[in-house]
Amino acid sequence: MSTGTLSIADYHKKTVTNRLGLWLFIVSDAFVFAGLFIARFYLYGAGVRPELSQIVGLIVTSILVLSSFFANRGEVSMAYGDTKGYFRNTLITIILGIAFLIGVVGVEWQIAPYGPDHDALWSLFYTMTGFHAFHVLTGVIFLVIVYRNARKGLYTAERHFPVEAAAVYWHFVDVVWVFFYPALYLIGLPPI
Amino acid sequence: MNEEQKTMALQVGVTVLILLAAMTIGEYFIGLFAPYWWAPLMAIALLKAFYIVRDYMHIGRVFAGDEAEEHS
Repeated sequence: MSTGTLSIADYHKKTVTNRLGLWLFIVSDAFVFAGLFIARFYLYGAGVRPELSQIVGLIVTSILVLSSFFANRGEVSMAYGDTKGYFRNTLITIILGIAFLIGVVGVEWQIAPYGPDHDALWSLFYTMTGFHAFHVLTGVIFLVIVYRNARKGLYTAERHFPVEAAAVYWHFVDVVWVFFYPALYLIGLPPI
Repeated sequence: MNEEQKTMALQVGVTVLILLAAMTIGEYFIGLFAPYWWAPLMAIALLKAFYIVRDYMHIGRVFAGDEAEEHS
């Protein structure tokens, strides 16, 4: 049964279940990231970190934080029936997400002094950032799909769970980076 | 009333952004001048995550059930 045929009350009931499923997925995905985060400290402790550009780290982190802000604005706009605001803010979120990917994969990976085969620390760095970048990429794809569906008029102020799901997933990707940023860029010094 | 609620919801977003920006700059400088202070850096990360999960991801909706369908 299409959600368009449900009454508002039924749609809301369905949303409660959908929301629970979304969060269950997010918690299970978080365990994978937690494993990588713990591996970084288990192997190298708090005294050593990869030799990375601090400026690039700060810029990509700021981009992701800003993208979360615009994703929230987009969701709030849709929740109050402001579709123009949703389109504007979601487009900015998508652009910032692509900018983050360019910053990590296109810049940081290119200027890093070693490749993933150098040692366990660098292997872990590429695994953590690569796995996270893959989530950013899927987040961008998810946002684009929901954006296209919104353009077709599929969502309203009362019926917009996909908009909420895309935003929550996007914020989750931001939360992961909140922990990866200090773990990779700030804690410890590069080995001599 | 609806417009007022929307403005308030957007204002929460702005406040969280300011907090996140301030904490990010703070942890950048801690990392620059005191890279062995892992505990304060982790505390800042936890605080940032708390604000995002509470105010951007609206975790309260998961526990509130049907009532949470209001624009929270």
